[in-house]
Amino acid sequence: MPRPQARTITFTIDGLEVQAPENAMLVDAAKHGDVEIPVFCYEPKLGQPVGACRMCLVEIEGIPKLQTGCSTPVKDGMVVHTQSERVKEAQNAVVEFLLINHPLDCPVCDKGGECPLQDITFGWGKGTSRFIEPKRHFVKPLELSPTIAIDRERCILCYRCVRFSQEISEDYQLVLQERGAHSYVSTFDGHPYVAPFSGNIVELCPVGALTSRAYRFRARPWDIEDSGSVCTLCPAQCNVTLTVRDERVMRVLARQHPEVDDGWLCDRGRFAYPRLGGDERVSEPLLRDGGELRPVSWERALEEAAAGLKRAGARTGALVGGQATNEEGFLLARLMREGLDSPHIDSRVAGTLPLELQRELGDPSLQAHVSDLEFAHAVLLLDTEPIEDAAILDLRLRKGVRRHGMKLVRASSEELLNKQAAGELVKTLKAAGEEIVVLWHERLTAGPKGAEAARALLDLATTLSLAGAENSGLLEIPAQSNGRGLREAGVLPNASPGLGAPADTGNAAEGLDALGIADALIKGELSAVYLLGVDPLEDSSSLPVWSRSHSPWEQQRPLWEQALERASTVVAHATFLTEGIREHANVVLPAGAYAEKEGTIVHPDGRIQRLRPAVARLGSTRAEWQVLAELAERIGLDLEVRNGMAASQQLFDAVPFYAGLTLEEIGGKGIRWAQRETAAGVASS
Amino acid sequence: MKLLFDRIDEPGLNTLPVYEARGGYESLRKALAMPPEAVLNELEASGLRGRGGAGFAMGKKVSFLPKGAMDKYLVCNADESEPGTFKDRELMQKSPHMLIEGLIIASYAAGANRSFIYIRGEYVLQADMLDAALHEAREQGYVGENILASGHSLSLVVHRGAGAYICGEETGLLDSLEGKRGNPRLKPPFPANQGLYQGPTLINNVETLATVPTIMRMGGDQYAKLGVETSTGTKLVSVSGHVQRPGNYEIELGIPSREIIYGLAGGPPEGREVKCWFPGGSSSPVLTADELDVPYDFNSLAEVRSMLGSGAIIVVDDSTPILDVALKVAKFYRHESCGKCTPCREGTNWTVKMLERIDSGEATPMDLEIMASVQEHIMGNCLCVLGDAMAMPISSMIVKFREEFEAHMQAAQARARADLGVADAALTAADALSAEGAAAHA
Amino acid sequence: MSALRRPIPRYAHGSRVPPGWDEAADLTKEPSPVPDPATTEVPATLREEIEGHMALYPDSRSATLPALEAAQRVHGWCSPEAIEQVACVMRLTPAYLVSVASFYDMLETSPVGKHSVYVCTNISCSLRGADELYGAVRTAAGDDPEFNVRAFECLGACDIAPMASVDGAYVGPLSIEDVPRLLDDVRAGREVLPEKQLARRPCADAEASA
Ligand SMILES: Cc1cc2nc3c(=O)[nH]c(=O)nc-3n(C[C@H](O)[C@H](O)[C@H](O)COP(=O)(O)O)c2cc1C
Ligand code: SF4
Ligand code: SF4
Ligand code: FES
Ligand code: FES
Repeated sequence: MPRPQARTITFTIDGLEVQAPENAMLVDAAKHGDVEIPVFCYEPKLGQPVGACRMCLVEIEGIPKLQTGCSTPVKDGMVVHTQSERVKEAQNAVVEFLLINHPLDCPVCDKGGECPLQDITFGWGKGTSRFIEPKRHFVKPLELSPTIAIDRERCILCYRCVRFSQEISEDYQLVLQERGAHSYVSTFDGHPYVAPFSGNIVELCPVGALTSRAYRFRARPWDIEDSGSVCTLCPAQCNVTLTVRDERVMRVLARQHPEVDDGWLCDRGRFAYPRLGGDERVSEPLLRDGGELRPVSWERALEEAAAGLKRAGARTGALVGGQATNEEGFLLARLMREGLDSPHIDSRVAGTLPLELQRELGDPSLQAHVSDLEFAHAVLLLDTEPIEDAAILDLRLRKGVRRHGMKLVRASSEELLNKQAAGELVKTLKAAGEEIVVLWHERLTAGPKGAEAARALLDLATTLSLAGAENSGLLEIPAQSNGRGLREAGVLPNASPGLGAPADTGNAAEGLDALGIADALIKGELSAVYLLGVDPLEDSSSLPVWSRSHSPWEQQRPLWEQALERASTVVAHATFLTEGIREHANVVLPAGAYAEKEGTIVHPDGRIQRLRPAVARLGSTRAEWQVLAELAERIGLDLEVRNGMAASQQLFDAVPFYAGLTLEEIGGKGIRWAQRETAAGVASS
Repeated sequence: MKLLFDRIDEPGLNTLPVYEARGGYESLRKALAMPPEAVLNELEASGLRGRGGAGFAMGKKVSFLPKGAMDKYLVCNADESEPGTFKDRELMQKSPHMLIEGLIIASYAAGANRSFIYIRGEYVLQADMLDAALHEAREQGYVGENILASGHSLSLVVHRGAGAYICGEETGLLDSLEGKRGNPRLKPPFPANQGLYQGPTLINNVETLATVPTIMRMGGDQYAKLGVETSTGTKLVSVSGHVQRPGNYEIELGIPSREIIYGLAGGPPEGREVKCWFPGGSSSPVLTADELDVPYDFNSLAEVRSMLGSGAIIVVDDSTPILDVALKVAKFYRHESCGKCTPCREGTNWTVKMLERIDSGEATPMDLEIMASVQEHIMGNCLCVLGDAMAMPISSMIVKFREEFEAHMQAAQARARADLGVADAALTAADALSAEGAAAHA
Repeated sequence: MSALRRPIPRYAHGSRVPPGWDEAADLTKEPSPVPDPATTEVPATLREEIEGHMALYPDSRSATLPALEAAQRVHGWCSPEAIEQVACVMRLTPAYLVSVASFYDMLETSPVGKHSVYVCTNISCSLRGADELYGAVRTAAGDDPEFNVRAFECLGACDIAPMASVDGAYVGPLSIEDVPRLLDDVRAGREVLPEKQLARRPCADAEASA
């Protein structure tokens, strides 16, 4: 589907000639001339403007009535006034109207200090009110859900929250009831508003009517600092702003990125943060002593870990979890291969896939963008349920269907492997149009038929002529958050960094994959295992819904239970003291949560994104690169990293298609390496 | 001259045989024998202006619909909820086929193949009559596929509302017909381009559509000779309130209003004088006894800063305090505001509270000024014109009856003082305080 | 503030705030998605009626009002159960439907008496004594649970002011003296005040009826 393109026009606003994209809404066009038109209900993320609040009224020459700037597209030669007496009077009036039933309880309102209603009242209101009747007062706040409180006195009925529920997440749970001045935001018959993306309404609310129950009264805007980072709780890697007070994350907000999250967050990303600073965190090194894990010094822990690994040597395996950065995975892979001569390291849950298949699947010309999900004629969901696998993509797909009539098709790899079914599938997809994205999950490549399915997927891409085509391509959701980055960093048993051929470790070129490692541990062929940011036995089902994540290792759990039981050394480099680690680790080295880390990760579409530490590390936790370097040193390997930046630099140098990359270039918005000149590196290597 | 109301009480007129016996559906035959453009020309030539409230030229509205093959819709607005209005009710109940015939002709001119009559839910009898007539019309082949072998097809559904004035506003009606809350939509896009189910839609009032068969019979030019230049034809006027013979009257547009109020409806009861009157439903600015000679047509009423609206004259005589009238009106709009936009939702609510305060003796001297300014702040600033529909009459009352409001306020204060037995001095202080409070209250 | 204070106006349920405003969600409840047909029982006739309405429109959602009206006829009001049944047949969420239902005056979102008496108290009727009439009907109906007496906005019959719509039938002009008979007729299941039925009233325009 062609993406909207606008030519530039010139219009006049408050006497100033300004250039802006044609048909941009006046409120947006005005920004090009540094003119601010106040808005409440306008939020382009929510779709078509509704024109409800009337805050944005402006005067347009040639039109007798004042017009809403949020719904009037700018045209060439338009002459607009936002400062005339008429406009000012209308603005004053709307502010006055909005405040007549507003409690003005700013001193005890969470929104105070970052409240559009306060700002607009200050900027565009008259400063007085002539309303002397009693205001509405009643019980507040009330629970709307386990995570959200509602304070109906403060609601200005801007429609944002209900539009979100109805038009964005399409759950139709949050609605307005009654009409006129009696209208209020509510749910059906007292049911709570629990939905995968419900938390976005807190951020959308322009007043303190919807607040996060976890954040309520925890901080005032002047106590806090904002820090941009990336959520690593699932492969969607939404961009976030962390609200920090006293070295604690108090709140997670969306940091809009049109190519990643479109400005939304799922409830897990938004509400699971208390766990980041919670009781389950490992904050100091632990050593198993008489069956119990006890705190010890770093010296002691590192000694013990190094000793255990050295003892096992090439009989060590390593498993890397999806929260690990590229740098962490890269350094661990070096430690394994160069320090221990062991190639047995894996980050894929699905098992090994032949290298040439991995390269072909990663071919830059085949990679779809996230925004293609919206503009393609059809999207095929192959072996995936986006809401489970990378939640935020669910909203993007809904948007595509709703706004652009994109056709959504679901299929499994079994159908792909069946000639007839595959033929039908191609027909269905082609009937929708030429531009097609296949969104597929790593699980497609699992099991004995994995390679065959991957080949069939590539054939499908050829049949559909996806390579290089507009709004088309393949997009893989890896099983683990940073699955793609870890593979590119060489955290695979059969590849060196950049999906190159594996260097011979002296022991073997190709190592065992995750299942192989577990198997070998059980059989005693391997005796030690390093768990970096992963607990294959983790089970989060006891957590509240919005903190729950389903572990990609679930299916392998029985196997790993035996494997960890048998292993003589289990070194866990871990953030949380989860079941497997509590039961089986000999040494636990504390690791940071994403809010504390620095480094890079790679989004499923090849966008390299940067994590930035927002809060200090917990307790005596040390940077992961540092721990790995110190451990390597004790094993007799100098990794030559003296700081986090050096780790990144080493990685960029090692991966051919990252060549020349710098952290500055990645910046706050990330960069898709497929769009850099060095991209050619991958297919040819 | 009776066109719509010609022998309206003839027994059985609501049934097809009687309607056909007096020439019913001949206009449809005539129209279907012409090309749609020719039918449109007749409508334009007739000068017929919409009878629902806005008075927009019917033919022109039809011509706004895009040409070409696509799903187009025709919606008949039978919500009739403007206080004082009950003309569509009588037409639908007694001559439903006239509406159906007009609707089919209009759909032919507009190229619409699906149509709906959105009738207010309270009109149970009238909706039943329409359903029965529709059944007959369908049996006879007037509604359905390939009507009278013309190639034109039309489906028609009588859709019953559920009690909300705002569903008479055309875009609120469309949302309601789509099964949603009846909130008005932002315009543009206008219904002619994007209306029902996003398709081009023609919306007309019952009376407007019911006039179409007459225009086809007479010819547009002949019809245009009736009435006055800018307001052609006849109009059904609902007269109610303080008159001796309330009811619907069919008049030729342009006759003096006095003739309707006194001549037809008999004027106020013996010994009473007209205090004020609404010429076009409760949304129209009130006129006084001095303005009774204004010709009853669209432009003349606009010239005296009021409007013909839905053609509903409500007469208030000198027995009723103006405040009661204002309060009734304001309360109605407060109750009916959909709540979508700020000035209407909050402004109607505030106005009611101020009026109540005037009535209970709690008003401050500034209240009339504030009330007038609140009306100014509503007018022209809302999403639809429901807000204006309260602000316009209330404003006109404040302008035309300021002295009575002030007297009412003072009398109410005196009464309140007497009730409480409070000394004047104490009260004056309290009042001063409240006035100060009003100014400082942010 | 002035020393003169009227009693604080309260809503019918005794609170100063409109119904619903001070209600929290019940956190022990599950969210309420589109009901599962397997576990939601819908009376067969109601289902048929709703499906019949849905078939009339290009978009079945247009049948929302007729469907809610049908469910109200079956259940007496748009109870949560009624709403869930409509939601199940129409494949919509109950929240969507309650949002629509609460917008419209004729759809009841709390339990009411079986017989509706809408007394018009809008301008034209009130000029002719509607407020007193409404008071009289309320008093006469007392707390008889069979009646749902409501003050209504203009019902489009100001020519018979003051008037009322009794179970959908328009009667007027009414006087206070008519009230006892009106209620008796309803109780007895008779046509209400036959001589005052709008259905039988000729047009006021003398020339039209001629
Ligand atoms: C608040 C409001 C209520 C309205 N109610 C009605 C109504 O009950 N019946 C009607 O025909 N038009 C009503 N209208 C006017 C319609 O919006 C629309 O202009 C009309 O149906 C067009 O038909 P016409 O051109 O044939 O008059 C209302 C308008 C507003 C703003
Ligand atoms: S709760 Fe907030 S977002 Fe929702 S309508 Fe009210 S002010 Fe707007
Ligand atoms: S003016 Fe009133 S009725 Fe119209 S949209 Fe605004 S709130 Fe709704
Ligand atoms: S921002 Fe334009 S109407 Fe609300
Ligand atoms: S005012 Fe009562 S029916 Fe119109």
